[in-house]
Amino acid sequence: MSKDRNMVIPEAMLPPARIERVKGNFGEEVLLRNDAMFTAYRHSAGELSAFFFALADEGRIIANVCPSCGVVNCPPYQQRCPECNFTDMEQIEIKDVGVMAATPVITMFPPARFKGDAPFGTGYVFIECGDSKTADTALPLRVRTTQGMLRRGIFKRDTPIKIVFKDERQGEITDIFAVSQAELTREQIAKSPLLESDLEWNMPKEPEFEETEESKMAFSKILFRFQALALKVSKSKAAQKDLANWTRRVEVKSGGFFFLLNINDGKMSAGYEEPDRETDLILALEDPNDFLPYLERGAALTNLILSGKLWVSSSELETITRLDRLPRSLRKDGV
Amino acid sequence: MREVAVIGSGMTHCKSRWLSKTYLELAQLATKNAIEDAGIDVSDLDGGVAGIYNDIFEFMAIPESPLQGIVGLANKGFSRVTSGGATGIYTMYNAYNWVASGMHDVVLVLGVEKALDCYDFEAESPTPAVVQTIAYSWDPWFERQIGNHASSSYAQVIAAYRDEHDGDLTEEASAKVVELLCQQAQNNPYAQRLGEAVSAEQVLDSRYVIDQIRILETCVYTEGACALIFASKKGLARLAGKMKQEPIWITGAACANEPYFVGKDPKRHKVLHRIQSDEIVAREALKQARLTVDDIQVMELHDAFVPQLMITLAEMGVVPLGRANDLVNEGIIMPGGKLLLNPCGGLVFSGHFVGGSNMMSTWSIMREMKDRDLEHGLVHGTGASLSMFGGAMIFERRR
Repeated sequence: MSKDRNMVIPEAMLPPARIERVKGNFGEEVLLRNDAMFTAYRHSAGELSAFFFALADEGRIIANVCPSCGVVNCPPYQQRCPECNFTDMEQIEIKDVGVMAATPVITMFPPARFKGDAPFGTGYVFIECGDSKTADTALPLRVRTTQGMLRRGIFKRDTPIKIVFKDERQGEITDIFAVSQAELTREQIAKSPLLESDLEWNMPKEPEFEETEESKMAFSKILFRFQALALKVSKSKAAQKDLANWTRRVEVKSGGFFFLLNINDGKMSAGYEEPDRETDLILALEDPNDFLPYLERGAALTNLILSGKLWVSSSELETITRLDRLPRSLRKDGV
Repeated sequence: MREVAVIGSGMTHCKSRWLSKTYLELAQLATKNAIEDAGIDVSDLDGGVAGIYNDIFEFMAIPESPLQGIVGLANKGFSRVTSGGATGIYTMYNAYNWVASGMHDVVLVLGVEKALDCYDFEAESPTPAVVQTIAYSWDPWFERQIGNHASSSYAQVIAAYRDEHDGDLTEEASAKVVELLCQQAQNNPYAQRLGEAVSAEQVLDSRYVIDQIRILETCVYTEGACALIFASKKGLARLAGKMKQEPIWITGAACANEPYFVGKDPKRHKVLHRIQSDEIVAREALKQARLTVDDIQVMELHDAFVPQLMITLAEMGVVPLGRANDLVNEGIIMPGGKLLLNPCGGLVFSGHFVGGSNMMSTWSIMREMKDRDLEHGLVHGTGASLSMFGGAMIFERRR
């Protein structure tokens, strides 16, 4: 995603004016014109503004309740209750804790406007609105973890969550997000509003795995396989393109063992090089053999991350995405 | 209500990118093929209904307006329908009502879509732009701002179903359904993925686009068109001597949409672990046809994502909710099983040109009912956020 976050449409996404002649489906020439269907907006939040003002200005969450049937809507998406012949609903303040309505989902391949965010989690939260009562509707929210890349198992249906408020808020739903209460202290859970800066984001706990003779053997085998993969990449233009314009020093770890995977603008190498400078990314896993499906038949590394078998030190997915493209490119080039 | 029959169908080839054809040309080609298939003249049409999902894909607001004359309906009634992923089935539902109500006797039902003209100049790929365009179908205050989109929305329903029914809807069962659909698509000359061979093992190795859904479990973006001709008995009498095809009768038609906002009460909110709209439309359409689900020999269901397809089958009563694995493990939908499912390869392998995909399903079911001498079939469509729009039609062959 472009770094130009102040613009609604980042410059890199704007099409240059151009008309090309390209081959059609039958080999004939057809015209291809760069264009855009754009309409800029100053989009009103109308009656929903009260909800967003409460988030932005006061760090509070409000809901609407029907005085007739008692249904509580959060988000407060309607002002009258259709089930009660459009009785006017009343605004109430509710809490900033709740439970997941279902296991949230983790997007690995996002829409264009969210490319830089992947992987990210979205889900629905029933927010507490009274003694052991939650709202009748669920608030759609981003879900986040302080423990590295988001993966399965952190959130499930009924996982207790805390709403966290960004320090700088403008009045939009992304001013808030949900974090599992299991990652918070009692004091943090009790604090309202809990701010993003109240949490420690930069120290995800790296898992520790037992060092065994078996894992040492397996790890050596995996290193050899990665070296063979690097050699194949050197023979495949498509694979080199996958790694073009990308530089990363990746530390691959299991038990007490590690090796470095170097990606450098289309080239790749793997070896026991000592990390004489900081690595960009750490990949840690308990059983090195979990890499075999990727190395032997191209099974996606992304799936290892989602399953929690492969721990990644940051939320950056791009390196993994590029590595996942390699098997297909090698097949394409017959390497 | 008058009885309605389908008397012709016409397809274009499904392609990921039709560089050589605009949606105007695709629409006209499908219409021409349907007219020829029915054996009638374009002047026999009393009017038409067009399904076009998305103005942004067509790069034009009111994209149906240039179609009027092109499909031979100058100065006749011609209406456009858009209902998310369920645009196709809703278009058919509207056309059915045009005929059943007595307003018209012979009606064109057209579905067309482009998609891959969208392009992300930053990623140098159309796909993120296509995903984004569909994501504009989510509300701009809540869902869209947090980055929800078609895959995340369906994945949420699948995740909630798996929460509710622990151990059901396994990835292995879903992978076997994908393998089945791939094999069946090889019998569809218009299929986008004709010639592909995908095994269950490849499905399980393929990358998750989102938690719950692998890339080989998803439908493909497609450009293409399909047209059908609906007619009343009066219309059939008028066309006597011209018609080339045996009419297939629509004996049940239903549509239902669930509420948008998620909550606890299935009567007033969208409940995440259900696709209630599928249950409602199947029940209502079968009731109209005086049939039960066990009477249906062939189904063409809307498989945006294969785990959703399996939930849909459970919602329709083919198996109980929580027993979706039985579809595979007990061989119900597998070769030789009691139900022929998506013989065209479904939207996953044939293609999903949104405005017309459910018409393609109808083209397929008519072909299968005739070729295999079957009596009853069901076509289904779903769409919109959290799979909340639904429609179903029952087809009957009278021998």
